[in-house]
Amino acid sequence: MESVDVMSEETTSAEDLVLTFQDGLLGFTDTRHFVLVDIVEDGAFQLLRCLDVDGLEMVVGQPWLFFPDYAPVIGDDDQAKLGIESPEDALLFCSVTLPEDEDAVPTMNLLGPFVVNRHTRVGRQVVLQDEEQYPVRAPLEFA
Amino acid sequence: MLVLTRKVGEAIVIGNGMVVRVLGVRGDQVRIGVDAPRNVPVHREEVYREVEQTNADAAASAARAAALLRQRGLKRPGDDA
Repeated sequence: MESVDVMSEETTSAEDLVLTFQDGLLGFTDTRHFVLVDIVEDGAFQLLRCLDVDGLEMVVGQPWLFFPDYAPVIGDDDQAKLGIESPEDALLFCSVTLPEDEDAVPTMNLLGPFVVNRHTRVGRQVVLQDEEQYPVRAPLEFA
Repeated sequence: MLVLTRKVGEAIVIGNGMVVRVLGVRGDQVRIGVDAPRNVPVHREEVYREVEQTNADAAASAARAAALLRQRGLKRPGDDA
C-alpha cells in the first residue's frame, strides 16, 4: 500500500536522526535517546536534547573551533562499544556551561566529550585519561 | 564493601588480569598501581564526579548558554572582527 510505504519511510528517516547513548549521560539515569537541534546557522553549536527526560538538554559545540590542538584519545573500550575503527567514523562534540554570574564566560567540557558513530548513531560520553591536559571547564574565548 | 588490609608491595587481583597494588604510603597519601587490560578504563573517582557535575551544570544553563551563543553569532577566534 502506498500510504503505508510513505509512513514507514518517514519513520525510518526520523529514527535515523536519533542518537542512542546506551549508558546515558554521566549523572543522569535513563537518558538514552537524543537529537541535535541547531542553534546557530553554521552548526558550530547545537542543543543535545534528550527524548527520554522532558526539558533535559544542553548546548554542545565543536571543540576544534576554539581549541585547535585538542587531540582526545578514545580508549579501546569506548572504541569497541561505539564500533569506531577510525577517526572518520566518529562525530565529537563537547558540552557548554554558562555560570550564572553576570560576566560569566561560557566553558567547554574537554575531558568528557560526546562521541558518536556517524554510521550507526550510537554514542557515549567518554571520560579521557588526559585529565591533566583537558579541563572540564575550558573558557571559550570569542573574537 | 569488601575490606582488605594490605602492606606496601602487596596487591589484590580483581577479575581476570586486573591487579591493584599498594606502592607506597607517605602520611595520608597512598600510591596505588593499577594493572588493567587496555579495555578497562581507570579513573580517579573525583574525575567522574567532576564530569557528572559539569553535565548537570550544562543542563541547568542550557537556555542561557544557547541565548548567549545566538547573540554572539558566528564570531570566533581567527574570524575578522
